[in-house]
Amino acid sequence: MRSPEFAVLLAKEWHELLASRAYWILLFVIGPLVGQSFISAVNLYAEVSGAGGGPAALSSGLTSLDGILVPTFGVYDLAVTLLFPFVAIRLVSQEKETGALKLVLQFPASLGTTLAAKGLILLLGWFIAWLPGLVAIGLWHLYGGHLYAPEVLNLLLGHLLRLLLSCGIAVAAAALTESAASAAIVTLAFTLGTWALEFVATGQGGLLQQIAAYTPTAALRSFEQGLFRLNTTVVTLAITVTGFTVAAIWLHTGRSLQARVLGMGVTVFTAAVIVTAAAWLRPSWDFSENRRNSFPAADEATLAQFREPLNVTVYLAAEDPRLVDLERNILSKLSRTVPRLQVAYAVGSRTGLFERADDHYGEVWYALGDRKTMTHSATEPIVLELLYQLANVAPPVQREEKSFTGYPLAAYPTGAALIYYLLWPMTLALFWGLRRRRATIFFGRKP
Amino acid sequence: MTFAAAEGICKSFGRGFALRDVGFTVRQGEVLGLIGPNGAGKTTLFECVAGTLAADAGTVRVRDQLVSPLHRKDVLFYLPDRIVPWTAQSVNWVLALFERLYASAVRASDLVKSLQLSALGRAPLGSLSKGELKRTLLALGLLTPQPLLLLDEPFDGLDLRQTLEVMSLLREHAASGRTLMLSIHQLGDAARVCDRLVLLSAGRVVGEGTLEDLRIRAGKPQGSLEDIFLALT
Repeated sequence: MRSPEFAVLLAKEWHELLASRAYWILLFVIGPLVGQSFISAVNLYAEVSGAGGGPAALSSGLTSLDGILVPTFGVYDLAVTLLFPFVAIRLVSQEKETGALKLVLQFPASLGTTLAAKGLILLLGWFIAWLPGLVAIGLWHLYGGHLYAPEVLNLLLGHLLRLLLSCGIAVAAAALTESAASAAIVTLAFTLGTWALEFVATGQGGLLQQIAAYTPTAALRSFEQGLFRLNTTVVTLAITVTGFTVAAIWLHTGRSLQARVLGMGVTVFTAAVIVTAAAWLRPSWDFSENRRNSFPAADEATLAQFREPLNVTVYLAAEDPRLVDLERNILSKLSRTVPRLQVAYAVGSRTGLFERADDHYGEVWYALGDRKTMTHSATEPIVLELLYQLANVAPPVQREEKSFTGYPLAAYPTGAALIYYLLWPMTLALFWGLRRRRATIFFGRKP
Repeated sequence: MTFAAAEGICKSFGRGFALRDVGFTVRQGEVLGLIGPNGAGKTTLFECVAGTLAADAGTVRVRDQLVSPLHRKDVLFYLPDRIVPWTAQSVNWVLALFERLYASAVRASDLVKSLQLSALGRAPLGSLSKGELKRTLLALGLLTPQPLLLLDEPFDGLDLRQTLEVMSLLREHAASGRTLMLSIHQLGDAARVCDRLVLLSAGRVVGEGTLEDLRIRAGKPQGSLEDIFLALT
């Protein structure tokens, strides 16, 4: 495969992407949606920051990540779930349905290379769709908003991985099904399935909850909290590559059915091994500016010394808000710090409305070796103190750490409505018209 | 001189056989016609030979070298019938795609003239008539550099004048050293353009050779290709 051939394939896929109405609709829709989210977020941020005489205490701990970036980029999660799969599916399905695949199979490049070109162009297409979001970041900076580069980049990485996963699933679905419509159904069914899995797994613990941590929404959530987990990244990339590989194997009708099924089986098995192995990967990095996913450094160092397994038994139902606090403030931080942590969820019901105190409801038990202790608290210092008593170690001497005060800002979204509701659609309309006029000028020259 | 040979090609779909032990030879620089009634297995044979459809059995040798299905695209190109690829793209776009992808020695501009595509340059493929699309696809096939070109129903959709012009163009390409194999259901066309013929019926080869060879085989010394076809199929 010569590199000029790959360049031609990229150009081909680029033109095919631009010929896709689904892609243009996505672009037209994404601007105003991002704009609406951004404008609402800026207004709310200003309100919480005290504009209009709001209570000043609310602004304490306010961050751009939670207040602006996550809600603004939340639109992209929606687009990746409900719009972008159709763009990816079209790039594959249409060639199957029109017979172009028979020509593609004979291209000098392998089918894998052709699909890689499709993947890269989908990525480029997505970067263009990101422009409104990136403009929002720029506008926020211009308004005087604080941006902490590591957490911004981490959030963008999370959305990028979310997109790659969606592409992998959509391309595989397009390859395996007969038509674009069927592929769309399969892709949406996958998304709904992951939502259902996440719902069912909440507060269940064990394997189910472990698997649910890798669903697209759950994976993205950790990035939205400023947390980069190596295992989530590896699993997402493995599933993406598997999707493209499955497509490359299945679309090659020149191979026998047995060979294709075997190839797919080997690919899926390999992916399963990688995903299972990745579950054991513990490294994670807290890129949030306020270190919301971590205990203080001195506590982390002490907890990392625990040699005995720490068993936590939680008597809280899945829909009890205290469980959310416990997960966020204690359990997720412990899982990043304590070498051997086991969490058991001992309540069978979902709401906890009919649980009784004599069933231990509301209790959280911590056991280290043969010692155990109980608390109702989900407050970090209280639980840490209990754990040190349990381990019979002295609490570490805390270094003087500057407390995070947040970045309140009473700014107004000046110019944002003009950009998102007028300039963006007009610019797109201009490019769309130019593209239609130039549709016959291809690869730079006329034959 | 034998350029390529297919042997023992078999293909079945579900209950029935589409191809049974099919074999034929192609000579260097000739135009070989594959003829047979509807459902004889012509397209399936082309796809199996080209490696775009997995055959149950059979081999293809080119210049006495066994060529695996995955490497057939290095030595032959198959242009399918009844496809409308890249419907939103223009004729010029698709010609430029093939010209660049294959770094073709044949110039697309020459084919545009020969196949009367000048007026269609900006038209999307999805908007072309059957004949226009066929001429565009033929141009794609002729832009590819592989020494053996398989064309499925190259005259389907063309009027008489266009058919004669395309025949002349194909003969020119064959004269320049390229070997062509054409699947044709119009027997008159086949007799006019092909050097030799392969008769396929119900998935089996029932005759192969020049028109003279086939007349002898069919026992019709003065027979037309139609007569031979009816006698052998």
